[in-house]
Amino acid sequence: MIKKQYTGSARRARNIIWNAAGRYDFDPPFLAFYPNGKPDRYFNMVAGLVQKWLDMPRLWDFFARYGDDRRADEFDDLLWLGLENCVYEKELGERPILEQLRRDRAAEFFAEQQNLSRQQMEYQSMTVYTQQEYRWASVGGRRTPLLSPREKRMAEALRFSGALDTDGVLDAMGAFLRDFFRWDATRKNAAPKPANALARLLLRHEHKRIDRLLVRVGTGEGDHEKAVQQRHAGLGRHVAPTAEDEAYVQAVFGRCTVSEPERRILENELCVGRDANCRLWITKGEPVETADRDALEVRRSAARQRARNEAYFAEHSAMIRHSVRALSTRLDAVFSSYFRHLPEPSRSGRLRSEAAYRLSVLHDTRIFLRDGEQTEPQLCVDLLLDASQSRMNVQETLSVESYIIAASLEALRIPVRVCAFRSLRGYLVLEVLKDWRQRDCRGVLRYYAGGWNRDALAVETLGRLNDDPALHGRQRLLLVLTDASPNDSTPLSGEGLRLSREYEGAAAVQAAQEAVRGLRASGVGVGAVFHGNTSHLENAQQIYGHACVRIRTAAQLAQGVSDLTLLLMREKITS
Amino acid sequence: MNLIYSFLEAEGVDKSLLEGVRAFCERYPTEPENAPRVPAPEYYYYGNKTWELALAAILAGKNLLLAGPKATGKNVLCENLGALFGRPVWNVSFHINADASYLVGTDTFDGKQVTFRPGPVWLCAAKGGFGILDEVNMAKNEALAVLHAALDFRRSLDVPGYEKIDLRPETRFIATMNYGYAGTRELNEALTSRFAVLDMPVITEENLQKLISRRYPNINVRLRDQFAKLYGELERKAGSAEISDAALDLRGLLDAIALMEQGIASGDALEMCVVNKSFDAYERGLIRDVIAARIPTDLTRDVVFSA
Repeated sequence: MIKKQYTGSARRARNIIWNAAGRYDFDPPFLAFYPNGKPDRYFNMVAGLVQKWLDMPRLWDFFARYGDDRRADEFDDLLWLGLENCVYEKELGERPILEQLRRDRAAEFFAEQQNLSRQQMEYQSMTVYTQQEYRWASVGGRRTPLLSPREKRMAEALRFSGALDTDGVLDAMGAFLRDFFRWDATRKNAAPKPANALARLLLRHEHKRIDRLLVRVGTGEGDHEKAVQQRHAGLGRHVAPTAEDEAYVQAVFGRCTVSEPERRILENELCVGRDANCRLWITKGEPVETADRDALEVRRSAARQRARNEAYFAEHSAMIRHSVRALSTRLDAVFSSYFRHLPEPSRSGRLRSEAAYRLSVLHDTRIFLRDGEQTEPQLCVDLLLDASQSRMNVQETLSVESYIIAASLEALRIPVRVCAFRSLRGYLVLEVLKDWRQRDCRGVLRYYAGGWNRDALAVETLGRLNDDPALHGRQRLLLVLTDASPNDSTPLSGEGLRLSREYEGAAAVQAAQEAVRGLRASGVGVGAVFHGNTSHLENAQQIYGHACVRIRTAAQLAQGVSDLTLLLMREKITS
Repeated sequence: MNLIYSFLEAEGVDKSLLEGVRAFCERYPTEPENAPRVPAPEYYYYGNKTWELALAAILAGKNLLLAGPKATGKNVLCENLGALFGRPVWNVSFHINADASYLVGTDTFDGKQVTFRPGPVWLCAAKGGFGILDEVNMAKNEALAVLHAALDFRRSLDVPGYEKIDLRPETRFIATMNYGYAGTRELNEALTSRFAVLDMPVITEENLQKLISRRYPNINVRLRDQFAKLYGELERKAGSAEISDAALDLRGLLDAIALMEQGIASGDALEMCVVNKSFDAYERGLIRDVIAARIPTDLTRDVVFSA
């Protein structure tokens, strides 16, 4: 019933919990699902109400104490039955529908039991089943099952009163486990063991031991958001790039397409202050010969990922075609409103003084000008993809989403360039997946995730790469597909910093915010398509302000990107 | 005085401001030919502080800019102000292609000669009306520059090639602008400085209860409270970007109650007027979950309206 891990419908379950709690600033430790995988609306509400009425961190500490016990699942199910009664009584006055929802849940319980297979029935804990059956039978007005005296006492003990506060509930939970299972919450060995705590931490976060490119290394936990958290382990910090690092970067990503002097000029301008220890590497992925085993392994992994992207692309070709059509239609509507309408003669509007004679001489009343139907597009778009390791579980989706955006813009004859960025061994690597003049967008399927992301430097570098003279004078938009979680192994540097600070957290977000602000000041419209964890939503808002849309599936892409483009066009044209 | 005046008295809006309104109305009575343009609002705006700030600005001769997210009652307040002061209202909906001629007027040929066809801003200035500049931040700044002289101390409107007119003293402009998560741009400084800016608060649960009660006096009080709470929950969900603000539609909620009054079951009414405002299937699921946690789907008219 209550699961401690996230599954496919987790977002919906979390929304039910947040809604019942009246807050959205916490990550629920428990989610409830039916055996068929659908979120259990009632029990998720209960989980939210527990958050609302009781001190959940303290309860979670209690749950964690028996986490290693083989009866942990059984304890969970029983104690949640007790909590259900408690919060039901607390909330009923404020939410009268709860009574009906509870009755519905009781009916669902019995309907669900009929659908269970023999194996599922055998797998159930009889103690839990009996208590649940008794609870739901009494709620649903059915005949209650016959209980032994012990079971009756247990059922009574599980009616945690609505008058209890957190201390009272903790006492009741402790007393229940002590009286019926001889499990003592106050025992010394019941406290969470440091080793277990560390193991949990390792599961939650990927620790970086050495600074090399890792491809598809999961957390093992299958995060519901499909995002991977990266943390600095301390030892993995990178100080300044060496010649060996440059050789490695070239071996992995291909030769740099910017000439050496140009690269030095760019580095002198951009790799200063907080990025003083960084170098730039701009590539189109042209491979170089190498004997570096690590580099070759990474290249093989990248090729495998490309194959996966292409398979995903082929498998979803109908959806992709539809999305391209939908997005290009929407973008066409946006652009036709925002680009300058070419004037056409009309019978009212702005008087053309040079044509006024036609009225008296030729009786031609079309001596006015009005905005015509035709527009004059003057725009080019940069699409910047975060290719750091935090994106590794969504590589196929991201490559297809960026294909949809690029192909939609190309369909409207708007030049688009797609670049992926990641940082590694002190190098900010900007990989051009599709250049301005390429009409075929399938190059974006070369996308793969690996490395870190130094968002600020990537945005600044791309802002400077405006190398096609044919596009000069056009309005420029930059769309960033991001999870708004900048993080790099090369620390922040700069004057006044006696001890260098890690490039992560608030400092990294602030750096990205400043970079975006700088680019906007230079006349480039910058917006973000946020595709990440809710906990980073605030980062996205801080970095990109209101020019940020959140999408969760490719189906939402057309709406999200057209809204964002509309906003950016409006800001650019009206400012 | 009119109904809305009595409503404000009952709500406890500052008496001296209401006296000011009375004096204004006596000094500038509604001309009979303009009477059809004076709004007769269906809904009243609730929120005493906002009312007092808006009244003070209008009485001081200032133009008002109502800024706030969706469903905060900006247009309701505009209409209410027009009705309270008894002024004819010209509503100008801004769009990106709105230009000076759209606002002030344009040349046209009347069969004999080129003449000036006045636009809503010109008419408002000449007839002493309230000009509602709806979604003012949708327009290009150069289109709005034509309003600068009308909105500041000069209070005049100069139409190139035609005459310059002075605004009548009772003329006011009330602009609205929306902002939000994926919202709209900010207004430029030159224009903003010509308005007193009123940041519109989101309607409180208590005021929403009053609003529902006033519109549907027979509604069951317990259910009314649940509808108000439901709206608050949707607002929190949209605020945390879990759903778009498509379903955060106060009009939609009131429309749903209107449908229930017509005999539609609560589930269907809310589905039509709230859930279906979102065109994303997943998002609709989230909205349904919020509704299911507050309102039963099978409520009939007799239950909803059993005061």
